[in-house]
Amino acid sequence: MAAPTCAGCRHFEAAPQAIERLMPHLAALSSAHGASRTGDGLCLHHKRHVPATAHCAAAEAT
Amino acid sequence: MMAVETQMSDLTAGGIQTVRTPPLTSAFWKKEDWWAVILGLGLVAVAIALFTNGASLNWLAVIPAKWTTPDQLIAHFAAAWPRYLAQAAVWLVLVSFALTALGYRLRDTVPAFIFLYIVSVIIFALGQWADAIKYNLEPPLVALVVGLLIANLNLLPRRLDAGFRVEFYIKLGVVLLGATLPFTLIVWAGPVALLQASIVSIVTFLVIFATARALGIEPRFAATLGVGGAVCGVSAAIAIAAAVGARKQDAAATISIVILWAIVMIFALPFVSSHLALPAAVGGAWIGTSEFADAAGFAAAQAYGDIAATLHLGTGDQSVAAFTLMKVVGRDIWIGIWAIVLSIIAAARWEDTGIRNRWDAGEIWRRFPKFVIGFLLASILITLVAQEIGKADFGKAATTDLVTPIKNLRTWAFAFGFLAIGLTTRLRDLTGMGLRPVIAFSTGVVVNVALGFILSVIVFGAYWSHFGS
Repeated sequence: MAAPTCAGCRHFEAAPQAIERLMPHLAALSSAHGASRTGDGLCLHHKRHVPATAHCAAAEAT
Repeated sequence: MMAVETQMSDLTAGGIQTVRTPPLTSAFWKKEDWWAVILGLGLVAVAIALFTNGASLNWLAVIPAKWTTPDQLIAHFAAAWPRYLAQAAVWLVLVSFALTALGYRLRDTVPAFIFLYIVSVIIFALGQWADAIKYNLEPPLVALVVGLLIANLNLLPRRLDAGFRVEFYIKLGVVLLGATLPFTLIVWAGPVALLQASIVSIVTFLVIFATARALGIEPRFAATLGVGGAVCGVSAAIAIAAAVGARKQDAAATISIVILWAIVMIFALPFVSSHLALPAAVGGAWIGTSEFADAAGFAAAQAYGDIAATLHLGTGDQSVAAFTLMKVVGRDIWIGIWAIVLSIIAAARWEDTGIRNRWDAGEIWRRFPKFVIGFLLASILITLVAQEIGKADFGKAATTDLVTPIKNLRTWAFAFGFLAIGLTTRLRDLTGMGLRPVIAFSTGVVVNVALGFILSVIVFGAYWSHFGS
């Protein structure tokens, strides 16, 4: 089984409402629903922002 | 499992076999940009259809009339209340439809929007008072202050934020704004806006990045801070944070710093512009180069437009249009290129985080702020209608029956956005900034504001002073 990209990893959180819950001030002058964020999300393993297409050795399929 | 596997495409990146799953959150119906385009162009199309059939959206697109005595205001609402009721119902349906598609619950968005509409009507009516400017009661600034008070005194439950979608209302307003600008004006002014904005963006980024690095801030955080000041504020910060793999707390700190400075600039830039008696478009261009977030910038540009109109320094539209070209066309649309360049540098030169990223030229389109497409299409549509009718016939009738109602609807969309800024800005959420990041960003602010002033007022001042006249 090939390793998943962040989009298919269980550590990846990209849902806009979840992103705004984790960073409640984001919606004051921007939005997690904006096109410029594409499918980016938060890696809850590395605690970093990552694109959906990234990958790493710690990736685990959902 | 086979079904799932056949929907996936195997990719090789960095020597590791990966499986790509397209995230549902990037689907177009989950992006507020596309909803702003759909609703904005839909309203423009309805306005054009009515106009070409001898009717108008004017009845629905009501706004408070200018008044000098309370009796006049009461008389206006006594006569026009059915129009406000109908308008509120139409806005409620449109907004609810879009926000439901984005994943919000009607039980949150409906009461939130009704509150937003009622308070916006009150603030709008106050701003139409003949002496409002004398007492600094510009509607965008009043909306911001009222919203900040409500949010920071905890007068509303946080769940109502579902209907206080700042960016959605502002993007919808920008699409409608396109229908009030001739496409020829955008083509004429676009290159200068692009040149000026590019100079300011690159210099501001380099100053913030270099200062942050000199203060010992790691490069991914420094880059996130840099684009937060140089491109499109919070939206740029969150996009570049992902592109370079910045830490969660660094992106959060950048957002806090951007918000603080953006709020300061909403008040400072119109204040200084009015004391220098800058022409409306010159002030708008300066705000476009020196504000950090679109929503905050529109609030400042609209406020200065109102002031400039009262001081006979131009029209409110000139300020907002110059701001839009400078900020949206000049700075925002390049976020994809910033993302590609910085992700390449991050992968090649900065400390390895263990995360590998892929990039391709499609990144420019994927990160492109799609509401700009709606803005340009709306402008092209209205320009084509003008050409079809002929300049002489288009003049007065179209201004009254086609452009004015669209402009009024745009004013409402911006009014919702300005109030929503205050309603969603809670000072207790602005944490974790740290002294060194604040110093680095603030250094960029000083350079950004000074350079923006030099370019807008001195270098291109003559050009901008004629813009839209």
